[in-house]
Amino acid sequence: MTELITIPGRWEFDYTYFAGEAASRFFGELKDSRRIMGVRCPSCKRVLVPARSFCDVCFQRTEEWVEVGPEGVVETFTILTAAFAGMPKPPVVIAYVTFDGADTALLNVLTGLDLSNISDAAHRLQARPRVRASFVDEPQGRITDFTFTLL
Amino acid sequence: MAVADTPVYVEGIALNIGWHDATKDLSELIFDTVTLALEDADQSIDAVDSVVLAAHDLVDGRSLSSMVTAPAAGAYLREEIRFSDDAAGALVGAMTKLESGRARRSVVAAWGRSSEYNYDQFSQTLFDPIYGRPIGLNEFVLSAMRAQLYLATDHHKEQRTRASLRRDEAARANPRALKSGGYQSAAPYPLVAADLPLWADVAVALILSVEPAPIRVIGAGQSSEPYALGDRNLRALQGLQLAAGRAMTQAGTTGAQLDVVEVDGLTLIDEAMGLESIGFAAAGHGLEQLADDPRCNPSGGGAAGYCPPAMGLVRIVESILQLRGEAGVNQVAGARRAMATGSSTVAGQTHTAIVVEAA
Ligand SMILES: [Zn+2]
Repeated sequence: MTELITIPGRWEFDYTYFAGEAASRFFGELKDSRRIMGVRCPSCKRVLVPARSFCDVCFQRTEEWVEVGPEGVVETFTILTAAFAGMPKPPVVIAYVTFDGADTALLNVLTGLDLSNISDAAHRLQARPRVRASFVDEPQGRITDFTFTLL
Repeated sequence: MAVADTPVYVEGIALNIGWHDATKDLSELIFDTVTLALEDADQSIDAVDSVVLAAHDLVDGRSLSSMVTAPAAGAYLREEIRFSDDAAGALVGAMTKLESGRARRSVVAAWGRSSEYNYDQFSQTLFDPIYGRPIGLNEFVLSAMRAQLYLATDHHKEQRTRASLRRDEAARANPRALKSGGYQSAAPYPLVAADLPLWADVAVALILSVEPAPIRVIGAGQSSEPYALGDRNLRALQGLQLAAGRAMTQAGTTGAQLDVVEVDGLTLIDEAMGLESIGFAAAGHGLEQLADDPRCNPSGGGAAGYCPPAMGLVRIVESILQLRGEAGVNQVAGARRAMATGSSTVAGQTHTAIVVEAA
Protein backbone atom coordinates (compact mmCIF):
# COMPACT_ATOMS: atom_id res chain seq x y z
CA MET A 1 0.00 0.00 0.00
CA THR A 2 1.49 3.32 -1.09
CA GLU A 3 1.62 5.99 1.60
CA LEU A 4 -0.34 8.94 0.22
CA ILE A 5 1.56 12.16 0.67
CA THR A 6 0.26 15.70 1.22
CA ILE A 7 2.58 18.68 0.98
CA PRO A 8 1.84 21.92 2.90
CA GLY A 9 1.85 25.21 1.01
CA ARG A 10 1.64 28.88 1.83
CA TRP A 11 1.68 32.05 -0.27
CA GLU A 12 2.76 35.33 1.22
CA PHE A 13 3.51 38.09 -1.27
CA ASP A 14 3.99 41.82 -0.94
CA TYR A 15 2.13 44.25 -3.18
CA THR A 16 2.08 48.04 -3.54
CA TYR A 17 -1.39 49.09 -4.61
CA PHE A 18 -1.63 52.49 -6.30
CA ALA A 19 -4.74 54.16 -4.90
CA GLY A 20 -4.66 56.77 -7.68
CA GLU A 21 -5.41 60.48 -7.62
CA ALA A 22 -9.12 60.29 -6.79
CA ALA A 23 -8.79 57.83 -3.90
CA SER A 24 -5.71 59.69 -2.63
CA ARG A 25 -7.72 62.92 -2.51
CA PHE A 26 -10.65 61.08 -0.87
CA PHE A 27 -8.34 59.72 1.81
CA GLY A 28 -6.58 63.11 2.15
CA GLU A 29 -9.96 64.69 2.91
CA LEU A 30 -10.59 62.02 5.56
CA LYS A 31 -7.22 62.62 7.17
CA ASP A 32 -6.92 66.41 6.96
CA SER A 33 -10.55 67.62 7.04
CA ARG A 34 -12.52 64.65 8.38
CA ARG A 35 -14.86 65.04 5.44
CA ILE A 36 -16.49 62.31 3.31
CA MET A 37 -16.29 63.24 -0.35
CA GLY A 38 -18.19 62.06 -3.38
CA VAL A 39 -18.26 63.06 -7.04
CA ARG A 40 -21.27 63.99 -9.14
CA CYS A 41 -21.52 62.21 -12.47
CA PRO A 42 -22.09 64.80 -15.24
CA SER A 43 -24.41 62.42 -17.02
CA CYS A 44 -26.62 60.58 -14.50
CA LYS A 45 -26.09 63.29 -11.83
CA ARG A 46 -25.70 60.65 -9.14
CA VAL A 47 -23.29 61.47 -6.32
CA LEU A 48 -20.91 58.51 -6.11
CA VAL A 49 -19.20 57.70 -2.82
CA PRO A 50 -16.31 57.13 -2.31
CA ALA A 51 -15.25 59.79 -4.84
CA ARG A 52 -13.78 58.31 -7.98
CA SER A 53 -12.62 59.45 -11.39
CA PHE A 54 -15.35 57.88 -13.53
CA CYS A 55 -18.94 56.65 -13.44
CA ASP A 56 -19.03 53.07 -14.67
CA VAL A 57 -22.77 53.17 -15.32
CA CYS A 58 -22.45 56.10 -17.78
CA PHE A 59 -18.81 55.44 -18.71
CA GLN A 60 -18.10 59.14 -18.15
CA ARG A 61 -15.29 60.95 -16.34
CA THR A 62 -16.30 62.76 -13.17
CA GLU A 63 -14.87 66.08 -11.96
CA GLU A 64 -17.32 67.73 -9.58
CA TRP A 65 -16.42 66.91 -5.98
CA VAL A 66 -19.10 67.27 -3.32
CA GLU A 67 -19.08 66.72 0.42
CA VAL A 68 -21.61 64.19 1.74
CA GLY A 69 -22.69 63.15 5.24
CA PRO A 70 -21.33 63.05 7.85
CA GLU A 71 -24.73 61.60 8.72
CA GLY A 72 -26.50 58.88 6.82
CA VAL A 73 -28.81 55.90 7.06
CA VAL A 74 -28.13 52.17 7.52
CA GLU A 75 -29.49 50.38 4.43
CA THR A 76 -28.46 46.90 5.53
CA PHE A 77 -25.93 45.23 7.81
CA THR A 78 -24.46 42.00 9.07
CA ILE A 79 -23.07 40.95 12.43
CA LEU A 80 -20.03 38.71 12.46
CA THR A 81 -20.33 36.54 15.52
CA ALA A 82 -17.56 34.05 14.74
CA ALA A 83 -13.90 34.76 14.17
CA PHE A 84 -12.56 34.69 10.63
CA ALA A 85 -8.78 34.57 10.31
CA GLY A 86 -7.51 37.99 9.24
CA MET A 87 -10.71 39.79 10.16
CA PRO A 88 -11.56 41.95 13.20
CA LYS A 89 -12.35 40.17 16.45
CA PRO A 90 -16.07 39.35 16.76
CA PRO A 91 -18.69 40.47 17.39
CA VAL A 92 -18.41 43.07 14.64
CA VAL A 93 -21.15 44.96 12.81
CA ILE A 94 -20.52 45.82 9.18
CA ALA A 95 -23.02 48.30 7.82
CA TYR A 96 -23.99 49.47 4.36
CA VAL A 97 -24.69 53.17 4.77
CA THR A 98 -25.88 55.85 2.37
CA PHE A 99 -24.61 59.25 3.49
CA ASP A 100 -26.92 62.25 3.20
CA GLY A 101 -26.41 63.73 -0.25
CA ALA A 102 -25.01 60.49 -1.73
CA ASP A 103 -26.59 58.11 -4.21
CA THR A 104 -24.41 55.12 -3.47
CA ALA A 105 -23.61 53.37 -0.22
CA LEU A 106 -20.36 52.75 1.61
CA LEU A 107 -19.38 49.73 3.69
CA ASN A 108 -17.65 50.15 7.01
CA VAL A 109 -17.63 48.91 10.56
CA LEU A 110 -20.36 50.19 12.89
CA THR A 111 -19.22 50.72 16.47
CA GLY A 112 -20.74 51.75 19.78
CA LEU A 113 -23.73 49.41 19.63
CA ASP A 114 -24.27 47.05 22.56
CA LEU A 115 -23.65 43.59 21.10
CA SER A 116 -24.14 41.57 24.28
CA ASN A 117 -27.43 40.36 22.81
CA ILE A 118 -27.16 39.84 19.04
CA SER A 119 -30.88 39.72 18.30
CA ASP A 120 -31.52 42.92 20.26
CA ALA A 121 -28.71 44.61 18.36
CA ALA A 122 -30.06 43.29 15.05
CA HIS A 123 -33.50 44.57 15.96
CA ARG A 124 -32.15 48.10 16.40
CA LEU A 125 -30.34 47.95 13.08
CA GLN A 126 -33.38 46.54 11.27
CA ALA A 127 -35.12 49.86 11.92
CA ARG A 128 -32.53 51.38 9.53
CA PRO A 129 -31.25 53.91 12.06
CA ARG A 130 -29.42 57.11 11.25
CA VAL A 131 -25.69 57.08 11.86
CA ARG A 132 -22.76 59.43 11.58
CA ALA A 133 -19.13 58.97 10.60
CA SER A 134 -17.06 59.07 13.79
CA PHE A 135 -13.34 59.56 13.22
CA VAL A 136 -10.48 57.93 15.04
CA ASP A 137 -8.21 60.23 17.05
CA GLU A 138 -5.44 60.22 14.49
CA PRO A 139 -6.71 59.60 10.96
CA GLN A 140 -4.17 57.93 8.68
CA GLY A 141 -5.84 58.53 5.33
CA ARG A 142 -7.46 55.09 5.18
CA ILE A 143 -11.02 53.76 5.07
CA THR A 144 -10.45 52.67 8.68
CA ASP A 145 -10.20 56.36 9.72
CA PHE A 146 -13.86 56.33 10.62
CA THR A 147 -16.61 54.01 11.73
CA PHE A 148 -20.36 54.48 11.76
CA THR A 149 -21.96 55.27 15.11
CA LEU A 150 -25.65 55.50 15.93
CA LEU A 151 -27.05 59.00 16.38
CA MET B 1 -29.82 39.07 -30.35
CA ALA B 2 -30.50 36.60 -33.15
CA VAL B 3 -30.34 32.86 -32.66
CA ALA B 4 -26.83 31.72 -33.55
CA ASP B 5 -26.43 30.38 -37.07
CA THR B 6 -24.41 27.38 -35.95
CA PRO B 7 -26.28 25.18 -33.47
CA VAL B 8 -24.20 23.99 -30.54
CA TYR B 9 -24.77 20.65 -28.81
CA VAL B 10 -23.64 18.92 -25.65
CA GLU B 11 -22.23 15.49 -26.43
CA GLY B 12 -20.97 14.46 -23.03
CA ILE B 13 -20.80 15.45 -19.37
CA ALA B 14 -19.05 14.42 -16.17
CA LEU B 15 -19.33 15.63 -12.61
CA ASN B 16 -17.22 14.59 -9.65
CA ILE B 17 -18.04 15.97 -6.20
CA GLY B 18 -15.84 14.51 -3.48
CA TRP B 19 -13.64 15.30 -0.53
CA HIS B 20 -9.96 15.01 0.31
CA ASP B 21 -9.08 12.20 -2.09
CA ALA B 22 -5.35 11.82 -1.49
CA THR B 23 -5.04 9.27 -4.30
CA LYS B 24 -5.20 12.05 -6.91
CA ASP B 25 -3.34 15.29 -7.41
CA LEU B 26 -5.28 18.14 -9.00
CA SER B 27 -4.19 17.30 -12.54
CA GLU B 28 -5.27 13.67 -12.07
CA LEU B 29 -8.67 14.76 -10.78
CA ILE B 30 -9.09 16.92 -13.90
CA PHE B 31 -7.79 14.21 -16.25
CA ASP B 32 -10.22 11.64 -14.82
CA THR B 33 -13.19 14.00 -15.10
CA VAL B 34 -12.44 15.10 -18.67
CA THR B 35 -11.86 11.44 -19.62
CA LEU B 36 -15.31 10.55 -18.25
CA ALA B 37 -16.89 13.39 -20.26
CA LEU B 38 -15.17 12.19 -23.44
CA GLU B 39 -16.33 8.62 -22.78
CA ASP B 40 -19.84 9.91 -22.17
CA ALA B 41 -19.61 11.74 -25.52
CA ASP B 42 -18.16 8.62 -27.18
CA GLN B 43 -15.36 10.80 -28.54
CA SER B 44 -11.60 10.66 -28.40
CA ILE B 45 -9.40 13.62 -27.52
CA ASP B 46 -8.21 13.57 -31.16
CA ALA B 47 -11.64 14.84 -32.16
CA VAL B 48 -11.32 17.89 -29.88
CA ASP B 49 -9.87 21.14 -31.23
CA SER B 50 -10.55 23.56 -28.37
CA VAL B 51 -10.28 23.59 -24.59
CA VAL B 52 -11.92 26.25 -22.43
CA LEU B 53 -11.31 26.16 -18.69
CA ALA B 54 -12.55 27.98 -15.63
CA ALA B 55 -10.11 27.97 -12.75
CA HIS B 56 -8.76 30.33 -10.15
CA ASP B 57 -5.08 30.54 -9.19
CA LEU B 58 -5.90 31.29 -5.56
CA VAL B 59 -8.29 28.33 -5.31
CA ASP B 60 -5.78 26.04 -6.98
CA GLY B 61 -2.84 27.48 -5.00
CA ARG B 62 -0.84 27.40 -8.20
CA SER B 63 0.05 30.51 -10.18
CA LEU B 64 -0.64 30.47 -13.92
CA SER B 65 -2.57 27.40 -12.90
CA SER B 66 -3.62 26.48 -16.41
CA MET B 67 -0.01 25.57 -17.16
CA VAL B 68 -0.38 22.83 -14.57
CA THR B 69 -3.94 21.93 -15.33
CA ALA B 70 -4.68 22.59 -19.01
CA PRO B 71 -2.74 19.57 -20.33
CA ALA B 72 -4.75 17.43 -17.89
CA ALA B 73 -7.89 18.78 -19.53
CA GLY B 74 -6.67 17.83 -23.01
CA ALA B 75 -5.08 21.12 -24.10
CA TYR B 76 -1.83 19.66 -25.44
CA LEU B 77 -1.15 21.41 -28.80
CA ARG B 78 -4.75 22.69 -28.88
CA GLU B 79 -6.24 26.15 -28.57
CA GLU B 80 -6.86 26.89 -24.91
CA ILE B 81 -8.63 29.72 -23.08
CA ARG B 82 -8.89 30.00 -19.33
CA PHE B 83 -11.52 32.01 -17.47
CA SER B 84 -10.78 33.23 -13.98
CA ASP B 85 -14.48 33.55 -13.32
CA ASP B 86 -17.52 31.35 -12.87
CA ALA B 87 -17.47 28.37 -15.21
CA ALA B 88 -20.80 29.08 -16.92
CA GLY B 89 -18.85 31.88 -18.61
CA ALA B 90 -16.34 29.31 -19.90
CA LEU B 91 -19.21 27.51 -21.62
CA VAL B 92 -20.17 30.77 -23.36
CA GLY B 93 -16.54 31.18 -24.41
CA ALA B 94 -16.55 27.71 -25.95
CA MET B 95 -19.90 28.41 -27.64
CA THR B 96 -18.56 31.50 -29.38
CA LYS B 97 -15.62 29.52 -30.73
CA LEU B 98 -17.94 26.89 -32.16
CA GLU B 99 -20.50 29.37 -33.48
CA SER B 100 -17.80 31.38 -35.24
CA GLY B 101 -16.47 28.29 -36.97
CA ARG B 102 -13.12 28.55 -35.22
CA ALA B 103 -13.55 25.15 -33.59
CA ARG B 104 -15.82 22.15 -34.00
CA ARG B 105 -15.58 20.45 -30.64
CA SER B 106 -14.50 21.86 -27.29
CA VAL B 107 -13.79 20.57 -23.83
CA VAL B 108 -15.23 22.87 -21.17
CA ALA B 109 -13.90 22.06 -17.73
CA ALA B 110 -13.79 23.61 -14.28
CA TRP B 111 -12.74 22.63 -10.80
CA GLY B 112 -12.03 23.76 -7.30
CA ARG B 113 -10.77 21.70 -4.42
CA SER B 114 -12.00 22.98 -1.06
CA SER B 115 -9.94 20.40 0.80
CA GLU B 116 -6.75 21.95 -0.63
CA TYR B 117 -7.33 25.62 0.19
CA ASN B 118 -8.87 27.84 2.86
CA TYR B 119 -12.03 29.48 1.59
CA ASP B 120 -12.16 32.16 4.28
CA GLN B 121 -8.63 33.37 3.50
CA PHE B 122 -9.29 33.21 -0.24
CA SER B 123 -12.51 35.18 0.06
CA GLN B 124 -10.83 38.12 1.79
CA THR B 125 -8.29 38.49 -1.02
CA LEU B 126 -11.08 38.97 -3.54
CA PHE B 127 -12.02 42.35 -2.13
CA ASP B 128 -10.78 45.70 -3.26
CA PRO B 129 -7.45 46.42 -1.49
CA ILE B 130 -8.17 50.12 -1.06
CA TYR B 131 -11.70 50.32 0.34
CA GLY B 132 -12.73 46.74 1.09
CA ARG B 133 -9.96 44.61 2.51
CA PRO B 134 -8.86 47.02 5.28
CA ILE B 135 -12.34 46.69 6.83
CA GLY B 136 -12.15 42.90 6.86
CA LEU B 137 -14.73 41.50 4.45
CA ASN B 138 -15.52 38.13 3.03
CA GLU B 139 -18.23 37.05 0.64
CA PHE B 140 -20.61 35.96 3.36
CA VAL B 141 -20.66 39.53 4.63
CA LEU B 142 -22.26 40.56 1.34
CA SER B 143 -24.60 37.60 1.22
CA ALA B 144 -25.62 38.35 4.81
CA MET B 145 -26.35 42.00 3.99
CA ARG B 146 -28.39 40.85 1.02
CA ALA B 147 -30.22 38.32 3.20
CA GLN B 148 -30.92 41.05 5.75
CA LEU B 149 -32.68 43.10 3.08
CA TYR B 150 -34.50 40.04 1.78
CA LEU B 151 -35.63 38.69 5.14
CA ALA B 152 -36.74 42.08 6.45
CA THR B 153 -40.34 40.90 6.55
CA ASP B 154 -41.50 38.20 8.98
CA HIS B 155 -43.46 36.17 6.47
CA HIS B 156 -40.25 34.59 5.14
CA LYS B 157 -39.56 32.69 8.38
CA GLU B 158 -41.62 29.60 7.76
CA GLN B 159 -40.72 29.47 4.05
CA ARG B 160 -37.03 29.73 4.86
CA THR B 161 -37.24 26.70 7.14
CA ARG B 162 -39.15 24.67 4.57
CA ALA B 163 -36.82 25.73 1.75
CA SER B 164 -33.71 24.68 3.63
CA LEU B 165 -35.31 21.35 4.64
CA ARG B 166 -36.19 20.63 1.04
CA ARG B 167 -32.72 21.69 -0.13
CA ASP B 168 -31.11 19.27 2.32
CA GLU B 169 -33.47 16.49 1.29
CA ALA B 170 -32.73 17.10 -2.40
CA ALA B 171 -28.99 17.10 -1.76
CA ARG B 172 -29.22 13.85 0.21
CA ALA B 173 -31.18 12.23 -2.63
CA ASN B 174 -28.79 13.52 -5.32
CA PRO B 175 -26.41 10.65 -6.13
CA ARG B 176 -23.70 13.12 -7.19
CA ALA B 177 -23.83 15.22 -3.99
CA LEU B 178 -21.16 15.10 -1.31
CA LYS B 179 -22.29 12.54 1.25
CA SER B 180 -19.43 12.71 3.75
CA GLY B 181 -16.65 15.18 4.46
CA GLY B 182 -16.70 18.82 3.49
CA TYR B 183 -17.23 21.69 5.91
CA GLN B 184 -19.08 24.95 6.32
CA SER B 185 -17.86 28.44 7.13
CA ALA B 186 -19.23 30.42 10.07
CA ALA B 187 -22.50 32.21 9.30
CA PRO B 188 -22.69 35.98 9.87
CA TYR B 189 -26.07 37.27 11.09
CA PRO B 190 -28.76 36.88 9.77
CA LEU B 191 -27.46 33.81 7.94
CA VAL B 192 -27.52 30.44 9.71
CA ALA B 193 -25.63 27.23 8.96
CA ALA B 194 -28.54 25.79 6.96
CA ASP B 195 -28.24 28.70 4.49
CA LEU B 196 -24.57 28.09 3.73
CA PRO B 197 -22.89 26.00 1.05
CA LEU B 198 -21.09 22.76 1.83
CA TRP B 199 -17.46 23.21 0.77
CA ALA B 200 -16.44 20.26 -1.40
CA ASP B 201 -13.97 19.20 -4.06
CA VAL B 202 -15.61 19.70 -7.42
CA ALA B 203 -14.47 18.77 -10.91
CA VAL B 204 -16.83 19.10 -13.85
CA ALA B 205 -16.43 18.71 -17.62
CA LEU B 206 -18.59 18.97 -20.68
CA ILE B 207 -18.02 18.26 -24.38
CA LEU B 208 -19.53 20.91 -26.65
CA SER B 209 -19.83 20.24 -30.37
CA VAL B 210 -21.29 21.44 -33.66
CA GLU B 211 -22.23 17.81 -34.43
CA PRO B 212 -25.90 17.12 -33.63
CA ALA B 213 -26.40 15.47 -30.23
CA PRO B 214 -29.43 14.93 -27.96
CA ILE B 215 -28.87 18.16 -25.97
CA ARG B 216 -28.69 21.58 -27.60
CA VAL B 217 -27.62 24.89 -26.03
CA ILE B 218 -30.30 27.27 -27.29
CA GLY B 219 -29.60 30.43 -25.34
CA ALA B 220 -26.87 32.21 -23.43
CA GLY B 221 -26.69 35.59 -21.72
CA GLN B 222 -24.22 37.43 -19.55
CA SER B 223 -24.19 40.66 -17.58
CA SER B 224 -21.92 42.49 -15.18
CA GLU B 225 -22.76 44.73 -12.22
CA PRO B 226 -20.83 47.72 -10.80
CA TYR B 227 -17.54 46.98 -9.11
CA ALA B 228 -18.09 49.23 -6.10
CA LEU B 229 -20.13 47.24 -3.61
CA GLY B 230 -21.95 50.35 -2.40
CA ASP B 231 -23.16 51.05 -5.95
CA ARG B 232 -25.06 47.79 -6.22
CA ASN B 233 -28.69 47.25 -5.48
CA LEU B 234 -28.14 44.28 -3.18
CA ARG B 235 -31.82 43.37 -3.26
CA ALA B 236 -32.22 43.10 -7.05
CA LEU B 237 -29.45 41.04 -8.78
CA GLN B 238 -29.99 43.18 -11.87
CA GLY B 239 -27.09 41.53 -13.70
CA LEU B 240 -28.64 38.09 -13.35
CA GLN B 241 -32.01 39.41 -14.47
CA LEU B 242 -30.44 40.79 -17.65
CA ALA B 243 -28.35 37.67 -18.30
CA ALA B 244 -31.43 35.45 -17.96
CA GLY B 245 -33.46 37.79 -20.17
CA ARG B 246 -30.82 37.66 -22.89
CA ALA B 247 -30.60 33.87 -22.70
CA MET B 248 -34.38 33.49 -22.92
CA THR B 249 -34.63 35.95 -25.82
CA GLN B 250 -32.02 33.98 -27.75
CA ALA B 251 -33.73 30.71 -26.87
CA GLY B 252 -37.13 32.11 -27.81
CA THR B 253 -38.53 30.91 -24.51
CA THR B 254 -40.25 32.36 -21.48
CA GLY B 255 -39.67 31.42 -17.87
CA ALA B 256 -43.01 29.61 -17.87
CA GLN B 257 -41.78 27.26 -20.59
CA LEU B 258 -38.84 26.01 -18.54
CA ASP B 259 -39.20 22.55 -16.99
CA VAL B 260 -36.18 22.83 -14.69
CA VAL B 261 -34.10 25.68 -13.31
CA GLU B 262 -30.76 25.26 -11.59
CA VAL B 263 -29.82 28.58 -9.99
CA ASP B 264 -26.36 29.19 -8.56
CA GLY B 265 -26.08 31.13 -5.31
CA LEU B 266 -23.60 31.23 -2.46
CA THR B 267 -26.39 30.85 0.11
CA LEU B 268 -29.98 29.63 0.20
CA ILE B 269 -31.16 33.25 0.23
CA ASP B 270 -28.99 34.02 -2.81
CA GLU B 271 -30.60 31.06 -4.57
CA ALA B 272 -34.07 32.37 -3.72
CA MET B 273 -33.19 35.84 -4.97
CA GLY B 274 -31.69 34.29 -8.10
CA LEU B 275 -34.91 32.44 -8.78
CA GLU B 276 -36.78 35.74 -8.59
CA SER B 277 -34.23 37.52 -10.76
CA ILE B 278 -34.59 35.05 -13.62
CA GLY B 279 -38.36 35.47 -13.43
CA PHE B 280 -39.12 31.96 -12.22
CA ALA B 281 -40.51 33.16 -8.89
CA ALA B 282 -42.47 36.30 -8.17
CA ALA B 283 -40.70 38.98 -6.14
CA GLY B 284 -40.58 37.89 -2.50
CA HIS B 285 -41.60 34.30 -3.32
CA GLY B 286 -38.23 32.72 -4.09
CA LEU B 287 -37.99 30.81 -0.82
CA GLU B 288 -41.56 29.60 -1.14
CA GLN B 289 -40.82 28.34 -4.64
CA LEU B 290 -37.63 26.61 -3.51
CA ALA B 291 -39.66 24.94 -0.74
CA ASP B 292 -42.58 23.79 -2.88
CA ASP B 293 -41.59 23.56 -6.54
CA PRO B 294 -39.62 20.42 -7.45
CA ARG B 295 -38.51 22.08 -10.73
CA CYS B 296 -36.33 24.54 -8.78
CA ASN B 297 -32.80 23.39 -7.95
CA PRO B 298 -33.66 19.67 -7.91
CA SER B 299 -29.92 19.00 -7.38
CA GLY B 300 -30.02 20.50 -3.89
CA GLY B 301 -28.03 23.57 -4.94
CA GLY B 302 -25.21 24.62 -2.64
CA ALA B 303 -26.06 21.90 -0.12
CA ALA B 304 -24.90 19.25 -2.61
CA GLY B 305 -21.30 20.50 -2.53
CA TYR B 306 -19.78 23.81 -3.54
CA CYS B 307 -16.50 25.26 -4.71
CA PRO B 308 -15.81 28.31 -6.85
CA PRO B 309 -15.35 28.81 -9.74
CA ALA B 310 -16.91 25.53 -10.93
CA MET B 311 -20.51 25.99 -9.84
CA GLY B 312 -22.13 27.50 -12.96
CA LEU B 313 -20.96 24.50 -14.98
CA VAL B 314 -22.18 22.13 -12.26
CA ARG B 315 -25.64 23.74 -12.51
CA ILE B 316 -25.51 23.27 -16.31
CA VAL B 317 -24.52 19.60 -16.01
CA GLU B 318 -27.28 18.96 -13.45
CA SER B 319 -29.77 20.55 -15.88
CA ILE B 320 -28.54 18.35 -18.71
CA LEU B 321 -28.89 15.23 -16.56
CA GLN B 322 -32.51 16.26 -16.05
CA LEU B 323 -33.06 16.59 -19.81
CA ARG B 324 -31.46 13.18 -20.34
CA GLY B 325 -33.72 11.64 -17.68
CA GLU B 326 -30.65 10.62 -15.70
CA ALA B 327 -30.93 12.87 -12.64
CA GLY B 328 -31.89 10.04 -10.29
CA VAL B 329 -34.41 10.33 -7.45
CA ASN B 330 -34.80 14.07 -8.07
CA GLN B 331 -35.68 13.59 -11.75
CA VAL B 332 -38.34 16.04 -12.99
CA ALA B 333 -40.60 13.92 -15.20
CA GLY B 334 -40.51 14.79 -18.87
CA ALA B 335 -38.09 17.70 -18.56
CA ARG B 336 -37.34 19.10 -22.04
CA ARG B 337 -36.01 22.60 -21.44
CA ALA B 338 -33.91 24.00 -18.59
CA MET B 339 -32.08 27.11 -17.48
CA ALA B 340 -28.91 27.11 -15.42
CA THR B 341 -27.10 30.12 -14.01
CA GLY B 342 -23.63 30.87 -12.72
CA SER B 343 -22.57 33.88 -10.67
CA SER B 344 -19.04 35.04 -9.98
CA THR B 345 -17.42 35.31 -6.59
CA VAL B 346 -17.55 38.63 -4.69
CA ALA B 347 -21.29 38.74 -4.31
CA GLY B 348 -22.12 37.88 -7.89
CA GLN B 349 -20.71 40.78 -9.87
CA THR B 350 -20.95 38.87 -13.13
CA HIS B 351 -23.72 36.51 -14.11
CA THR B 352 -24.27 33.96 -16.87
CA ALA B 353 -27.50 32.19 -17.82
CA ILE B 354 -27.74 29.22 -20.20
CA VAL B 355 -30.81 27.58 -21.71
CA VAL B 356 -30.51 23.94 -22.79
CA GLU B 357 -33.06 21.80 -24.57
CA ALA B 358 -33.53 18.14 -25.37
CA ALA B 359 -33.11 18.23 -29.17
ZN1 LIG C 1 -23.27 58.36 -14.34
